Amino acid sequence: MRERLGRLFGGRFWALTRKELRQIRRDRRLAMSLVVPPMLQVLLFGFALDSHVRDLRLGVVDDSRTYESRELISAITENQTFRLAGTYHTSNELERALAVGRLDVGVVVPYDFARRQARGRPVTVQVLLNAANANTAQISQGYVEGAVAWLNARTPDGAPSPTPEAGTGGEVVEPPGMMRARVEVRPTFLYNPGLVNTWFIVTGVFGTLIILNGSLVAGATMIREKERGTVEQLLMTPASALEVVAAKIIPLFVLLMGMVGLVLTLARVVFHVPFRGSLLLVVVACGFCVLTGIGIGTFLSTVSRSANQTQLIGFFVNPPLAMLSGALTPIEAMPHWVQPVTLLNPIAHFASVARAVLVKGAGVDVVWPQLLALAVLATGLVAVSAWRFRSQLS
Amino acid sequence: MRRILAQARKDVTQLLRDRLALALAAVLPVVLTALLGTSISLTVTDIPLVVQDLDQTPLSRRYVDAYRSSLTFRVVSLPIATSPEAAIASGRARGAVILPEHFAREIQRGRVAEAQLLVDGTDTNTALLVRGGAGQITRAFSRQLSGAGDTGAIRTATRLWFNPGREPRKFYGPGMLVLALSIFPTVLAALAMSREGEQQTILQVYVSSISVHEFLLGKILAGVVIGIAQWLLVSGLMFTLFGLRLAGDPTPLVAGSLLFLFCVVTFGTLVGGAIPNQAAAVQGVSLGGFLLAFLLSGLIFPIENIPPSLSWISSLVQARYYIVIVRDAFLQGGGWPAVWWAVSMIGVIGAVYYAFAWLAMRRMQVKA
Repeated sequence: MRERLGRLFGGRFWALTRKELRQIRRDRRLAMSLVVPPMLQVLLFGFALDSHVRDLRLGVVDDSRTYESRELISAITENQTFRLAGTYHTSNELERALAVGRLDVGVVVPYDFARRQARGRPVTVQVLLNAANANTAQISQGYVEGAVAWLNARTPDGAPSPTPEAGTGGEVVEPPGMMRARVEVRPTFLYNPGLVNTWFIVTGVFGTLIILNGSLVAGATMIREKERGTVEQLLMTPASALEVVAAKIIPLFVLLMGMVGLVLTLARVVFHVPFRGSLLLVVVACGFCVLTGIGIGTFLSTVSRSANQTQLIGFFVNPPLAMLSGALTPIEAMPHWVQPVTLLNPIAHFASVARAVLVKGAGVDVVWPQLLALAVLATGLVAVSAWRFRSQLS
Repeated sequence: MRRILAQARKDVTQLLRDRLALALAAVLPVVLTALLGTSISLTVTDIPLVVQDLDQTPLSRRYVDAYRSSLTFRVVSLPIATSPEAAIASGRARGAVILPEHFAREIQRGRVAEAQLLVDGTDTNTALLVRGGAGQITRAFSRQLSGAGDTGAIRTATRLWFNPGREPRKFYGPGMLVLALSIFPTVLAALAMSREGEQQTILQVYVSSISVHEFLLGKILAGVVIGIAQWLLVSGLMFTLFGLRLAGDPTPLVAGSLLFLFCVVTFGTLVGGAIPNQAAAVQGVSLGGFLLAFLLSGLIFPIENIPPSLSWISSLVQARYYIVIVRDAFLQGGGWPAVWWAVSMIGVIGAVYYAFAWLAMRRMQVKA
């Protein structure tokens, strides 16, 4: 056993690995492309991407001009979601501003707002929403209704209670106490109580970076032998095909794990992602992910004939891989036929492991299915690409 | 003029002869737009939710039924001997509703009954949707309890403009059109240009009598012609798959599209000219074209949320303006008053790229 190990590291394998390491070390561009773009991407993504709905421009037509109507407006603009962008005299002006995109939300308060309210009559406030962005529309609708509900809940204390009025026409047979009945929901945000969006983005982008850079770098080093015709020389060495492939993969793996370390450091130091779970678990997942990336890159390099073909095909494989992964947008929001396809996407599995372990503090008992899937994908891809690489050798 | 046309014809012919590139140029934009436009969305429906009903009264079950009947949520059963927190931790549910004991009694005594909602905060946007949805359901339930319809003094009548069904694909479809047009014409232009450098055919250009402007304009014209073909293909998708119609005056869209194509093709030519290596040129375009168009254009994430220290970069990204034009043409229909600034910004950026390309090529000679 020891003898075999000794032969492995003392002999051909080690020599080949040293050759690969030297080649990588001399290739400045490769080394740079392993360090600079991932760092920039993590920083840029982490700082710039934020799906939070806030600072929507609110326009108001206040025909009532009373204390009550101003209170309604201030109740709506009190949180960060809306920002008062202008008041208009007529609803036509407001609608025009909404149409040319100067406003996102418009509120029209009727002239009899305060009077009807004082009499305990229901009064309708018109809310116009630019719903082009479905997500923003849904969240902002919730906010407006929440603000109004809050006002409503408070009103009976000051103004004459409107409830009897509404009850008179009703067929309500329950006791009067029932009328004032209220159910409230108390939300608690687990794991990320401040709803820091960067935690979601950084953990998602992490896997994307590993796969994209891994496949890029692996593709570039593999295709080089092919382009320069040095595959023939490798064939002439006494090393077996397996040794050749392993010697190619291991230095890349080590390098990419170095990149993983850098990204993890950034996530911790710059973005303050809480490392609640076991770091070892994340590193293991990263390892599988790196192997998958190397597998993809090697595979692409075996199907294409030149470096720019590899690049081009990579260009067409990577965007769907990155976007259909749940890294930036939730998988549950995708159409039902796409959702099973994401099971084949390593980035999707890695993102759920990273989020579960780093943010939620989950252990192996929770993330083992994803880890298993990553392991299967990694071994499968590496095996297929090694086999294909070997078949070009023979 | 004749030389420009000749140069353009040569480049178009070159692409038409390359079957693989032609297939990629025609099929990929359509596939990418169709796939991503229908799949990308932040709005989750059918969010899995577990319910722990400690009260077990008719009233509490009625409350739970309100969640069951909503489209936002899907109530999944909570396995025996599992806490709601564990269900969220394992990813089985995105949220949990916990009804305390005496939930029904509190209501009957006219007190405020509280339901607890635990939300998985890892995906912040979904967490907000869960909170908003639960709030709406609860308010509707309260209203229902307290008698006939609205008793609240203030009601809201909400009108959703431009996309009344709140269909995400109507928002992201046009966005993906922009993404596809930022990637493919750019890559093709960069490849066409860097090929001249890589295969040294650029020397033939240098020794011919063609001027820099004629050469550049010919290359760009060819790229724009191919881009128009791609634009027509992808726009076809907007009308069929995404169910969009032109909402208003189509002239800003036509003008903006032509300028945008000019802009991205010039960018591609610039990159291809600066990097005479096809592989590296594609990498450069993927960084500049794809990543910036994807990230900093408001495609998925609103530009307003980009911190000021980074947002100036976003104002240099041509896709950011084109997205405004396309969304306006298909959804809002504001016409020229709404988008004139975006059209002119694309024109300005295109002119700047052209100036750079001209500067880079100006001397028309081999770099020593």
